[in-house]
Parts: sequence; structure tokens; C-alpha cells
Amino acid sequence: MESNRRDFLRVGSLAFGGLELPSLLAAEPSRSERSCIVIFQNGGASQLDTFDPKPDAPHDVRGSFGSVATTAPGIHFGGLLPRTAKAFSKFAVIRSMHSDEAIHERARQYIFSGTKPRNDLLHPSYGAVLSKERGSKNGLPAFVVIPDKDLSAEAGFLGPAHDPFVTGDPNAKGFAVKDLTLPAGVSEEESQARRQLLAKMDAQFAKVTSSPLLSDMDEFSAKAMELIASPSARKAFDIHAEPDKVRDAYGRTGVGQGCLLARRLIESGTRLATVFHGGYDTHREHEKGVKRLMPDFDQAFPALLEDLEQRGLLATTLVLVIGDFGRTPKLNFSGGRDHWPRGFSVALAGAGVRGGVVIGKSDVHGGEPVERPVTIEDLGATVYHALGINIHKEYRANGRPVRINKDGAVVRELFA
Amino acid sequence: MKCGLWLLTAAAWCATIEPQHIVLSGPGASQQLVVTGSGCRVTSTSTTAAVDVGRMVVTGIARGVAELVAACGTETARARVEVRDQTAGQWEPRFSPDVISVLTIKGCNGSGCHGSPAGQNGFKLSLFGYDVEADHQMVSNRVNLAEPEKSLLLRKPTFEAPHGGGRLMSPDSEEYRTLLSWLKQGAKISSGGARLIQMDMYPREAMLTGPQPIAVIGRMSDGTTRDMTREVRLTTADENVARIEAAVVKPGAPGMTTILARGMGQVAAMRVGIAAGGAARPLPVNNFIDTLTGARMQKMGVTPAALTSDAEFVRRVFLDAIGRPPLPEETRAFLAKPDRAALIESLLARPEYAAFWTVKFEDWFRNNQLNSQGRAMGTFKEWIRDSLRQDLPYDQMVRDILTSEGDSFLVPATAFWAPATDFMLKKFEVNRAVPTVTRLFLGVRLECAECHNHPLENFTQDDFYGLSAFFARMRVKHGIGEYRRTWYLEDEGEVAHPVTKKPVAPKLLGGAAQPFDGPDDRRRTLAEWITNPANPYFARATVNRIWHAYFQTGIVEPFDDLRMSNPPTNPELLDALAAHFVKSGYRLKALHRVILNSRTYQLSSRSAGTTAAELERMLFARYQPRKLTAEVLLDSLSQVAGAAHTFMWHPKGTRAMDVYMPDQPDSFLVTFGFPRRDILCERAGAPTLSQTLHLMNGKTIQAKVEEKDNILASWESLPDGEAVTALYERAFARKPNEAELGMGMEFLAKGSARRKALEGLLWATLVSKEFQLNY
Repeated sequence: MESNRRDFLRVGSLAFGGLELPSLLAAEPSRSERSCIVIFQNGGASQLDTFDPKPDAPHDVRGSFGSVATTAPGIHFGGLLPRTAKAFSKFAVIRSMHSDEAIHERARQYIFSGTKPRNDLLHPSYGAVLSKERGSKNGLPAFVVIPDKDLSAEAGFLGPAHDPFVTGDPNAKGFAVKDLTLPAGVSEEESQARRQLLAKMDAQFAKVTSSPLLSDMDEFSAKAMELIASPSARKAFDIHAEPDKVRDAYGRTGVGQGCLLARRLIESGTRLATVFHGGYDTHREHEKGVKRLMPDFDQAFPALLEDLEQRGLLATTLVLVIGDFGRTPKLNFSGGRDHWPRGFSVALAGAGVRGGVVIGKSDVHGGEPVERPVTIEDLGATVYHALGINIHKEYRANGRPVRINKDGAVVRELFA
Repeated sequence: MKCGLWLLTAAAWCATIEPQHIVLSGPGASQQLVVTGSGCRVTSTSTTAAVDVGRMVVTGIARGVAELVAACGTETARARVEVRDQTAGQWEPRFSPDVISVLTIKGCNGSGCHGSPAGQNGFKLSLFGYDVEADHQMVSNRVNLAEPEKSLLLRKPTFEAPHGGGRLMSPDSEEYRTLLSWLKQGAKISSGGARLIQMDMYPREAMLTGPQPIAVIGRMSDGTTRDMTREVRLTTADENVARIEAAVVKPGAPGMTTILARGMGQVAAMRVGIAAGGAARPLPVNNFIDTLTGARMQKMGVTPAALTSDAEFVRRVFLDAIGRPPLPEETRAFLAKPDRAALIESLLARPEYAAFWTVKFEDWFRNNQLNSQGRAMGTFKEWIRDSLRQDLPYDQMVRDILTSEGDSFLVPATAFWAPATDFMLKKFEVNRAVPTVTRLFLGVRLECAECHNHPLENFTQDDFYGLSAFFARMRVKHGIGEYRRTWYLEDEGEVAHPVTKKPVAPKLLGGAAQPFDGPDDRRRTLAEWITNPANPYFARATVNRIWHAYFQTGIVEPFDDLRMSNPPTNPELLDALAAHFVKSGYRLKALHRVILNSRTYQLSSRSAGTTAAELERMLFARYQPRKLTAEVLLDSLSQVAGAAHTFMWHPKGTRAMDVYMPDQPDSFLVTFGFPRRDILCERAGAPTLSQTLHLMNGKTIQAKVEEKDNILASWESLPDGEAVTALYERAFARKPNEAELGMGMEFLAKGSARRKALEGLLWATLVSKEFQLNY
């Protein structure tokens, strides 16, 4: 036994000599404090409109938005993203993502977890893994979704304790986080009295039966009360405390205020916040729909990067711009673009990701990768690498050893 | 021989000696023995074999047959040993089993290391060594025949070369010598030797009172046996109950667990139990279920909980059988004449029984609206509900599903195939369908066999593709806009084996290959086999699934993972329930009836003693409190508050059970665990933060409490005591005790406005633990 232990120690020290062992990641202190903001283009945005325009393609491919030059020579983005293009020095783009999941729910689950959906097992999304591995901080929920729950971004086999906390819409008038404050019409005093009665009733019931379930429920009640009462949580959720100038800079839109709320939460201790920006599922009248959405994104995303940078948070915060999948290169007969997982783009910023970098290349129509194809597993490994999460750790689910990411390779070129 | 069946007697009382048939071959071949009984002496009747009594090992000396006799007090037990070839010669380790054994016991070919599908750093082994040829090829790239000691095969595990798995053996170990000797002799695969065809572990079951030695014996294709006791990887499912040290099981805390032996593609299981101390009171018997659960409780020294009270029972059985609490008048009628069997009968006859269980079957059958399948989903829901209401034989339902074809709007059961469709390719994906079918209807998890042989069961990739072949000719056509689909059968088309690339003939699990071109729908052959009363899986898988729904714990757990290496906690009960189900003509109501009428189901949720909670759960010694599921909770809130919920696209008053789910599931239901239903996944029974917050501050309960014409409307003029009592009867199907009455009345008296005070009382009741749980 004794000699085994010594041997183990020797393995550990040798590892620093050149072997890449996951423990190395864990040993680096800064990574364990990293957090993440995901801007999710709900429904799947077109790679041609965002980060991979094809101005020389026929009209029914390139569409009518044109393209705009970025800060990097020779690199253009879609014509609806002028501000994003100007901020390109702060983020990187992968133009060669590819997958084969074309159903929204499965595709979303895939890209939220970095692991192909299985028939029998729900893999945890990035936020749930951070919740599990890092836990909560300052009384804030570790994993937050803005504004609404989506069944694709869940804890899966890590268990519902790591499911996201849902905020509601921060752009709504008089926004208060969902279920965190008393419903209208109930005074603080009434509520106190009700809770006292409830506590007495529950105490009576505790004499009737026993189960681990009862203590679990107590634990969550305590957590809920802690969150309700937590000054740091209240403060973090109070988007009204933000100066109008800042709120306006992000844009008074769902995605704008969502990103701002995400920044406030990350700043206060949340590990991962997902902001859903909806409505990209444009099977018909694609351009009409996208014209409404893109400007909101184009304001929010650069504003978020700027704000994070100014606050010194960009170095420790990974920002991801992802969606279900891409969209068909050719407009269909209803002027729409359909689901297209075979080739699409994503953007990454912060947490060590270099700015102004383009990874991979798609074909002339933006249909499929022709250079440096990147799988969603690779993206997952990259996300976990940036966040300092060990993907080699074994969890148990369905009575078997499983990992949160399988066979993904970190996209090293993204990092300095 | 009754000894060893732990149900009937404690194994230690009578003598056993295992294995009972041993065939030793080769010089010095020996076999570990396991003897039970007190004060046993083991002797050999002949000089061909010698028994080392201290180590309980029998060794071959000369050709011949010997009988081993274990004499334990007045009891004796016997085993037969045949000793074959004893010609001396140099011992030559062979790749299989010797080298593979080393790779197995050292963990090299485990799933966490080189046995993972991707291998590790380019070195990939088959999981626990099922693929001898592939492993040999891999290993061959890591040998140095000129200088065997320099082979990577030795330098890695000894850590002479850097090794991610660390140092696993030293150069003076027996394992090292085996590998080196094999390398020196040319590192050959040496085919043609005897193959391992079966592996057994002894004892098969044991009640542990002290350390229990294990013997593992391999049965080879040439009729000889091989002592594998030290060549397998032994693991325990619960370290608290039993630990393993050098082929000996050491008892821990009271409980039941499984010990697994794995090696060379084979697996063997052993159940062990450690009784709780003290004498247990017997379980009164309502029907055969109680005889069988009671026997186990006795054996394990666990006293069952008392019979639950009539008031508790009426709420429990309403919630469990039809998914809502009883109305006050229903409670009163039952309490006036507490005939439990009659109540059960009346519940099973209600349409709500069908509506409630339909939701469960929809979860199981993955009935979802994803990808614009809302309408087909609705017709499937109706079909399930009608089938359950009429109590159609379940085998018939399953055959209808498995052989369904046609228009998805007209043939409801075709919706079953929707989750196995590739949206992009608009194609039926047979590899998604097969594991669903086996898991749902056979309780067999075959997913892993798509890529490699099953590590815990003797299912192979060939079995997976043999089953796939039954669906090889299924096709789907999409209508415009994807909404409508037509499922049909092609006249030809085969599944190709991923390794051989050859077409695979249909083959039933554990059966022989079928002809490629029979005249009928191949799926019919499969459906008939699955639902045949002789099928060992179908009835067991089904009764275990329903049992799990009632007890939260399967007789096999996980409830849809029936395999030799995951034995039932109560095999007699599983068999008896399955037989009952078959005999009833696969009527689900007959199954519900016998379970609900059992004393076991009707036990209180209060523990009768101080026994370990886990053991009570595994023995079904008390009812396990559980959270109401999303639909049941919402319907209960609406019913008790007297304020209906409104679902999008549905008329007011629609119950959650009856909601069709077009596109956007209700947010309350989603928060409380309504599943996505495109994968096989149970709803989580644990609470979440979102749920707790929603109960405390959310608008669902508050809206019901505030609704003007809810139940409170008629209570405003009731005296305080009567209001409190009425609410308890309505919500909990019981009267408040004195303390509860007092605190309720105090709360009402303190409130300034009468209506507000009543609302507060109703709120606390709906949010209370007692309301959230069935117990």
C-alpha cells in the first residue's frame, strides 16, 4: 500500500515533466475561477448572415444583406453586423463547425453539452457541469438561464440539483426575477405569517413519516430562502441599479438586457449564464425575420465584450455565440432558410481566446467545411479547456462510467 | 438441494461445497473451493487429487477421478474432481486466457483505460478482453521479440516508460513473469486452444456473517475447467455493504448488494446480504406478493411497517392509481365502509385510471411533438388511453406497435417510430429503434452493443445487428411540411454489419439466425417472440416497470436493466408476478389489482424500527414517500383549490393529464419535471430550486388561492374550526389533529380580513410537504 502511494506521487511529479495530464489544468489557479456567458441564437442563425458571408455567391445564396469589413484584413461579416465587425479584435470565429443533428431539441442539447445526444442518456450542459464542479458562490445560483427555461440546457445525468435557475425577461417593464419576490397582492407581513403557518404544518408532518426526500426538500427550501434573502443576489438581479447609459449601450432589447443581466450575475458569482435570443428559425421570409433580430444582437454582443473588458472580466469570462445549427445556404421557395447542421459558424471570446482569429473555412456557398473542420465535441473540449474543467473525469450514470465530453480535441489555435 | 437458497434457509446451517464439477488439466492445475458449514473438514477420496484444507484448494496429482467430501458436523457435501493430463512440461502462458487475464485484473482493458471505445493514447483493447484477435494485434505492436524485457507491454505497467495509468506491477510479480514468459515464447496468439465458454462464481448467494471466500471457475470448450478466482476483476456494487479483498468478501453494514466477476468477455454475479440484527416480526399475508416479500424481510431481519391507516390509504391509492386526491365525499364514503379491495376495483374502472397511466406510457414510449409531430402524438395518446381503458392485453398492444405501418394520422401506433427518424436525411434510423425496443419491452439495455460487445452481459455486436435486421426494410415517407408521415415496408434491403460489412440475417436474442427472405413482415416474427409467454424477458420487464412505478424501486434496479449481472433482489417475486401477468392474459389491470391489494403496497411509510433505510427500500418493507409528478401536482392544486388551470389551446377545465402537448409544454409542467420525451429517461423524483421558488413565490399557486370563485368563496361564513377541518379533509383526506386545528384557527383569528386569512391558510396547505408528497 505504502509503495503504491509513493508511486502515485511519482506519477504526479513526472507529469509536470512533459506529460499532459488533466491534473495540470486543475492545478492552474486562475482557471478555476472562470465563468461563461452564452448568447444563444435560438432556432439557428444563418452562417451567411453572421460570420461567414459569401458576397460572391449567387443571390439566392448570399441574400441581400451584403457584407462588412472587420478589423482584420480580408475578413468580412454579414452586412447586418457592423458593430460586431468593429469589435472583432476581441473575439474569434470558427467557420467550419459541422454536425448532423437537425432537430432543434437534439441539436441544442448537442451544442449545449458538447456531446452527441444519445438514446438513453441526457448529457449535462456546460452550465450544469460548472454548477456541479464549482458550486455556487456568494449565494448566487451557479447556472442561470435568461429569460426562459429550455429543456435542451439541462443537468441531465448530473441531476436536477444542477438544473438552471430561470430569471424571466429582464427587458420587461418593472422586471423582477421570476419567483424571487413575493407575488403582487401579498404583503411582507402576510407572507411572514403564511410561512410561519407553513413551517408549523411541515413540523407536524415530520412526525408522520420520514424519508430522505423530506430532508432534500428542506435543503432546497433553505437554499430558496437564502437566495430570496441574499443581498448579493438581490443586488445582482437588480438590473435597475445599472445606469441608464449602460442599459442603453447594451440596447433596450431582450438580448441587450439579457447580456447586461448576465454580466451582473457573472460579476457576482454565477458560473454560467445563457441568454436566449429567439426567433432565428426562419423557414419562411428569412430576411424579414433576420432584419428584426440581427441589429439587437449587433448592439448587445460588442457592448458586452466592451463592458467585460473594461471591468477586467474578459480574461476570466468565456463568451460563446452559438445556435442550434446553421441554415441552408440556398433560400427556399418561401424565401426561408431551413435547418442546416452540416456547416455553420460560432464565435468565442475571452478566457484566453485570441481576438481577430478565424478558424477553418467553408465552401463557396457556406455549406460545408473545406478546411479545419471542427466538431461539436471539439467545441465542447475547447469550452471546457477554457473554463478549466477536466473532461477526463469519470462520472457514473445508468450504472456505467461516462464522461462529459468524448473524443473532442481542443481547438488550440484559438488560444495564445 | 435447498442449501444456498437464502430464501429458505440460511446457507451456513447446512454443508455445501462448490464448484461441484471440476476438471483439472495440466501439471499442478488447481481449483479454489468454497465450503459452507460450521467446522467443516474436506478430504479427497482418492490420491489423484489433494486438498489443501488451509487454503481450500484442490490440486491434481495423477490422472483419475476423486470425490471431495466436506464433513461439517452431521452434514456432508460432495464434489467431483476429474484429473486429466498431468504430463510435465514447461508451463506456457497463452495470450488467451493468460495474458488477457493480466490485462483484466490490472484494469488495463477497463472502460476508464484502454478498454474505452477510443482506447488511450493509441492503445485500444476490447472491453474486459472479449475480442482476442483485435487485442493480440494491438499488443503485438508493443512487443520487442529480440529483447522481450524492453517491450512496451512490460515497460509501461512497470513505469519504466511514462504511463498515464501509473505503475501497475513490479518486475518480481507473478503478472510480470506471465507476460515475460509469453513474450519469450514468441508472443503468439496460439489459436486452437480451448475457449472459455462459461464462467461461474461461488457461492451464488450468501448471507454474510464473516469473511466469505469466493471461487470462480471457468468452463472451457474442451470440457476442462480453469480456476479463474485470481484471474478476474471482482467488484462490489456497494462498498458499505461488502468489500473485496483478495478474493474474499468482507461484510460491512446491513444491506444487500451484488459482487461481479469479469474477465475474458464473461461475467458472473453473486448476491450477498448482511442481515440487520434482532428478530423481525412477520408480514401478514394478503396475497402471494406478501409471502415472497415477507420471506425476504424475515431473512434479512427487517420488520415491516404497520398497515397504513384507512385515511392515509384512500389518499395514497387515489394518487397512485388515478393521479388525483380523493374528493371529500369520496373520502367520507370510503371511511364509512373501508373496503380496500372494493375501492381498488372501483378506481381501476374509472376513466381517470386510463388517463393517468397514459401519461406514464407516453413517457415510456417517448410520445413527443418534436419536429412537428403534434398531431400524430395526439392520436397515439388517444390510442394508448383507449387501450388502457379497455384493458386490452398488453402483448397485443406491443405487437400492434412493433408491426405498425401506414399513415401517421391514421395509424396511431406508428408514432412510436418518430423518435427514431433522422430529420436531416428523412430516414428511419434502425440503430435508434433497436435499443428502444429492447429496453422498453425486454428490459435489456443493448445500446452499448451497437459499438462493442456488452461488458456486463453476454450480448454481442452480432446480437445488436441481428435484431436490427428485423427492421431493415422499414421506411418512412414525409408529406409536405413534415407533419404527416407514411411508414411502409420495402421488399428488400438489409442491415450491414459494421465490421464485416456483410448483410446481417435477422436473429433473435439468444436464438439462431433466421432466413433472409421469409414471406412475412420480419417485424412480426420479432413481435411474436417478444410477446411469447416463453420469452424470459417480456413479462418480467413489464411487471418490474409497473412495480417500480408503485414502489419507486424495482425488483431489479434500474428497472429496465435486466441482466444476469444485475440480479433481482427478490427473484421469486419477479417470477411470480410475471407468471401472474402472463396467466391473466397480459392484462395490466390484473397486475395493478394484485399489487394494490397486497399488504406490501398497503404498508405505512413509517419505519417499524431502526433498520437501515436503504434495506427497507430494497425489501419493500415500507411505503416510500414520493413527490407528486408534474401533472398530478397541478391537477391536485386545481382540484383542492377549486380553481382550474388554463392550458394554451385547451378549454378551461382541461386536466393536465389530458393535455395534448402541441409545441410548447406548459411552463409549470416543465418546471416540475415534464420530460422532453425524445430519449429514454425517467423523470427525476428529486426537488429543485426552481420548483421550491415557484411554490413559494410563483404565480401558479397564488392565482389559484386568489381566484374569486374558488373553494374559499363558500367558506367565508364558516366558523374557523370548520374551515380548517374542511380544508384538511379536502387536501389531505383526513381531519386535522388537535394541534393542527389549533394552529389553523389561530392563523385565521389573527388575520384582519377574512378572505385574506383563508387565502393564507389555503396557500400554506398547498405548499406544505404533506400536499407535495404521496406517503
